[in-house]
Amino acid sequence: MIKILIFPLLFLWVQTAKAQPETGSMLIKNGTLITITNGVQAQTDLLIENGKIVRIGKGITVPKGIETIDATGLYVMPGIIDAHSHIGLSAINEATSPVTSEVFTGDALDPLDVSIYRALAGGVTISHALHGSANAIGGQSETIKHRWGVIEPDALKMEVAPRTIKFALGENPTRVYGRGYGMVPNTRMGVEAVFRNAFAEAVAYKKNWAAYDAQIKDKKQRKTAVPPAYSLRLQTLVDIMDGKILVHCHSYRADEILMLLGVLRDYGVKKVVFQHVNEGFKVAPELAEFGAMASVFADWWAYKFEVYYSTAYNAAILIRNNVVTSINSDSGELIRHLYHEAAKTQKYGDLTDEEALSLITINPAKQLGIDQYVGSLEEGKDGDIAIFKNHPLSVYAIPRKTIVDGVVRFDIEKDPDDVRLYVDPEEKFDQPVMRVSEEKCMQGADLMEFLQAEK
Amino acid sequence: MRNLSLIRFVFVLILLSATEFSIAQTDQTKLQPVTRAFALTNATVVQAPDRTVTNTTVVVRNGLIVSVGKNIDIPLDAQIVRADSLYVYAGFIDGLSQAGVEKPGGNQRGTDTSRFSARSKYNPADPPNAVAGIQPDAEVRQFLNPDLKSVEELRKIGFTASHVVPYGKMLTGSGALVLMGGDSPDAMMLRDDMSLFSQFQGADRLYPATVLGMMAKWRDLYRQAEISKAYETKFSENPSGLERPVYDRVIAAFYPVIDGNKIVYFKTPSVLDAYRAFTLQSDLSFPLVLAGLKQGWDLIDKLKSTNTRVFLSLDLPEDAKTKKNEAAEADSTKTTKNEKEEAPTFMTETEKKALEARQDAFRKKYETQPQMLQEAGIAFGFSTLEADTKDIRKNLQRMVKSGLSEAAALTALTTAPAAIMGVSDMLGTVDAGKIANMVVTTKPYFEEDSSIKYVFVDGKMYEYEVTEKKTDKKETDTSGK
Amino acid sequence: MKLKFSLLIILFLASLPTLKAQQIQKTRTGTFALTNATIETITNGTVAQGTLVIANGKIAALGTNVTIPDSAEVIDCTGLTLYPGMIDAGTRIGLSEVGSVEETTDYNEVGDVNPQVEALTAVNPNSVLIPVTRVSGVTTALTLPTGGLFPGKAALLNLHGYTPRQMYAGFVGVVLNWPSAAKRGYGDKRSPEAIKKEYEKEKERLNSVWEKALTYAKIDSAYARDAENQPEYYPEMMALSPVVSGKAPLLLEVNMASEILDALTWIKEKNLKKVVLTGVMEGWRVADKIKAAGVSVITGPVLQTPTRDYDRYDKPYANAGLLAQAGIPVAIRTLETENARNLPYHAGFAAAYGMGKEEALKAITIVSAQILGVADALGSLETGKQATLFAATGDPFETSTDIRYVFINGWLIPMDSRQIRLYDEFLEREPGLSNE
Repeated sequence: MIKILIFPLLFLWVQTAKAQPETGSMLIKNGTLITITNGVQAQTDLLIENGKIVRIGKGITVPKGIETIDATGLYVMPGIIDAHSHIGLSAINEATSPVTSEVFTGDALDPLDVSIYRALAGGVTISHALHGSANAIGGQSETIKHRWGVIEPDALKMEVAPRTIKFALGENPTRVYGRGYGMVPNTRMGVEAVFRNAFAEAVAYKKNWAAYDAQIKDKKQRKTAVPPAYSLRLQTLVDIMDGKILVHCHSYRADEILMLLGVLRDYGVKKVVFQHVNEGFKVAPELAEFGAMASVFADWWAYKFEVYYSTAYNAAILIRNNVVTSINSDSGELIRHLYHEAAKTQKYGDLTDEEALSLITINPAKQLGIDQYVGSLEEGKDGDIAIFKNHPLSVYAIPRKTIVDGVVRFDIEKDPDDVRLYVDPEEKFDQPVMRVSEEKCMQGADLMEFLQAEK
Repeated sequence: MRNLSLIRFVFVLILLSATEFSIAQTDQTKLQPVTRAFALTNATVVQAPDRTVTNTTVVVRNGLIVSVGKNIDIPLDAQIVRADSLYVYAGFIDGLSQAGVEKPGGNQRGTDTSRFSARSKYNPADPPNAVAGIQPDAEVRQFLNPDLKSVEELRKIGFTASHVVPYGKMLTGSGALVLMGGDSPDAMMLRDDMSLFSQFQGADRLYPATVLGMMAKWRDLYRQAEISKAYETKFSENPSGLERPVYDRVIAAFYPVIDGNKIVYFKTPSVLDAYRAFTLQSDLSFPLVLAGLKQGWDLIDKLKSTNTRVFLSLDLPEDAKTKKNEAAEADSTKTTKNEKEEAPTFMTETEKKALEARQDAFRKKYETQPQMLQEAGIAFGFSTLEADTKDIRKNLQRMVKSGLSEAAALTALTTAPAAIMGVSDMLGTVDAGKIANMVVTTKPYFEEDSSIKYVFVDGKMYEYEVTEKKTDKKETDTSGK
Repeated sequence: MKLKFSLLIILFLASLPTLKAQQIQKTRTGTFALTNATIETITNGTVAQGTLVIANGKIAALGTNVTIPDSAEVIDCTGLTLYPGMIDAGTRIGLSEVGSVEETTDYNEVGDVNPQVEALTAVNPNSVLIPVTRVSGVTTALTLPTGGLFPGKAALLNLHGYTPRQMYAGFVGVVLNWPSAAKRGYGDKRSPEAIKKEYEKEKERLNSVWEKALTYAKIDSAYARDAENQPEYYPEMMALSPVVSGKAPLLLEVNMASEILDALTWIKEKNLKKVVLTGVMEGWRVADKIKAAGVSVITGPVLQTPTRDYDRYDKPYANAGLLAQAGIPVAIRTLETENARNLPYHAGFAAAYGMGKEEALKAITIVSAQILGVADALGSLETGKQATLFAATGDPFETSTDIRYVFINGWLIPMDSRQIRLYDEFLEREPGLSNE
């Protein structure tokens, strides 16, 4: 059934896609398959043809001309999906306006960012290249496949993924606009006002255009019809209300989460994924009731006040309350070991192996609206695979190969020292960057950072 | 000596009073010529990249090339330039620069956009267009000045015409093709309002600040323009009973682009910039030229399939030799004896070599990409923007050494840009009827010890001192020739 | 805390609401016998089916043939393994409560020469972060001041106690941040030349401060023979004096390879013996030089991105192992505050990427203790050492392992923290959905 449903869709997509991504074929033999949706299957083969999983079973014979990967003694799982990342982006925040629904991280993709390779080296095949959290309504965001090696930014795009947009609540927008620029929002009250004003404006915009479109259709009125001012910003908000865009909302505190649920209810927005959502555990029943999903950190807390009353048991509480939950990185560092971040839910809340791994596979796929294509090992799904030595939930797990659309994009045996795609011929060698792990959401929006950069 | 300069000064004064000059100039090149007719006699004339004639005379009068040939009459009033051992080329054409363009004063650049003033002065979400860098309505002609050093710098390396654009941020205004010389700003003008210039240069902490905002702003402006243009057309056809369209000069600046009458020149140094310009172009379908492109080697298929014309940057990464020499110099001047002995290395020789090899490979890509484009059949010229004029000749030579044929290089400097900018009937070759823009060299242009002796711009001759290069070690370099 | 166990507690509390106040768990001490345990001594191999006796805050006995004192509270550790408490040799525990709220952070004093300021003074024993950390088996942490050339004195803490003094675990060291010649991050727009210049200037400043301290130390020792007089009160120099004269330890934070080489040269010049390199992110590049200099290293975080785009992705994971293989004593730190609880995972990644389990475990126990000069009391399970240890269901590097008991300095720590309490409270929230 699945096959029958999916293939016509894919066919359509291939026809309309701008650049067809490179796909490959291979037989992964004799591995321990962690399918996520259909248990663990020992000593099983998995056949990928032209980028799709076409067969899972024992003793599959190698079709002609297809490469075989021996996975004896290794664990084979679906490629890891990060629902919150900022890797592969030249810019993260357009931190100049509390509402920037017109901007789009798909415009700022940077396939040359080595973080993409490093994520692959952690088994991650897909990440959600989110806009930052400076703005209450931030930018639309792109779901990317880690096709390391491509130069064309569009070639990273997962074309079938639905549109998404970033919202943000709490300290970040109030710090940037209230404290930074002396404008609304300076409080969580103001954040709500920003949302309500923006949606109200969008309702009017939609009405004006509908009126104009009606006038144009009417022979008598057509003559005098005046087109309303065009706004990509408001049009995007209209698309959100029309259910065409998934909302991903940066949030921490319980009160602000409830606030946004209220706003969304009032404007008929049904799909929302709360990001970080450190106090999601406090309002898990409300989240579940709304059908809202949650994408959380494994254990980050106390780096700012709104995450002081957090608990690493957040994911477990949310799962137990039937909230579709994922674990994300929001960091070029954490994205390298999301399997380990997911494993922490066994320490904090005793999730089963399957539950823990679903946090970085099928659940984020659901949150990005791509679960019919990826997130589990199933026939018909994309050939996005991570192969591990040792169980992926063990601290000793080592990603061996990471495969995207049937193409090996990371192979520990062929991992070169220097993977950069572009090299600056004038770069001086002795100029390392001492990075500190941090919440990347605020990149390009931090006032202190601007001060320092200007010194 | 004193007397002499005094006399010269008086002479200048007398001359100035008789001319339109409003600015006192002590530079002799500014003196009005005695005649506007020249005859370069007996020269090797590279009329076009594929047409070279020897022992030929070129006659110039009133700014035009009037005849090119072997046995032609030399007008009586012509100043004769004996060019027996000299080489004559069509003047070079620069696809994008800001030579001769004044930087606007005020708060568009520099100190005034500091964090604090930006915060207190403007709403970051809705800054005035001028501060946000949204000025497609500006025109470069307002900022032209033939006396800027940048004009002389380009001219003396052979560039006689350049497509110049205003300074600014994302949308700086319309560009013009101008001559690299002239008695007045207006006299420089060859083709006004030729392009709409854009670049990915965000406003400082004001919308649009990043590539995210800039891409969105572009689309928003363009789509607004499409809608209001359609309405204006409707209004102009029958205004009765229709609300008067509100004129917006920023929006209106896109109208000729929407009509396909004005080309968008996008400055795209990096490969990612180029792809982003392509994204806008494919979303909005406007005529596009990529200019100042530095990283084009991965774009060849894209350029070909979209039939996009390109001006490659004449800026190249420092060549390996220079870099190493500099490093060695810095070392020897800085480190004292005993320090040098135990110069610490934190990198193995193997690693260092591998990294250097990668740098070399990429340096090679920069150097060979004109050749790659040429082989792929992509029309391209050059842009001097962001290139140090002192390095430009050397960089051209590096490209030729790396495999670009001299003819192809010359094409990119002359006929190709003329064709891309639609001025082949005026510029690009040494043919009768063309504007007298020429470069006269002592040896074939791409030879290392070749010097520029004269540059003609609009029929006006600029003479340069030929510095004989010291050739102590008589190099008999035949490689690559 | 495990699900079933906490459910039991909830049920218990629900049935006995009046007893809630009495449920506040306190630490307690006494004589304990941990029986039927696998004992990972670190220094003397593994004891199977062993008993470990705790008395007077110390390990009184351990082995298979141990007499259990009558007074002892017996804790059956069947299926559990005892490990010495994990030591995080670089954190900001106690000095920072909420990272972005300056009022709650006390690790960065104004000025760049503050060797006299004491981390221990500002440690908040009631930090919510402390219980969160120790229930994960991280019992001991070096807490570091930061910022400037000499940010102050770091202190080693037991993560239990009601006063900083009670927490003090026997090591104090002056911190020196070696000047940095690296870019500070993506926002750093300085040119390579400017960075270099600043670096040289900073080194000169360091040397001039050092010279001053040497002078002060000389005067000080001269005065020592003359009990009547004292040198002038000059707290910065008083703090540096024992360091420059080699009597007190120096924690030298340095990360970039060329800086490490500079620092090693400097150490030799100054003839420093009690110096520990900390950070050492690019140590793998110059491991042989560090080894030749004979200094010890505290490295970390392990979970960190490479410092250079052209470095292999796993270098930060592998760094500790590569240093250890070169024969350098290596301890691992997290450089975390609220998440120092992840110390075993930093060690686990180092273990997986070349260091091996055994060495990695040492790097957060005995080697740390040795480097910080407290190996007589901490870092291994040996008779006579402090009873600072934990009992785990398995390999402490694995997230599936649970920590069941934690002892710090003989005190049995309640397996409780605010994070656990929030779990207990909200797993099945009452009331659930409201009916309005």
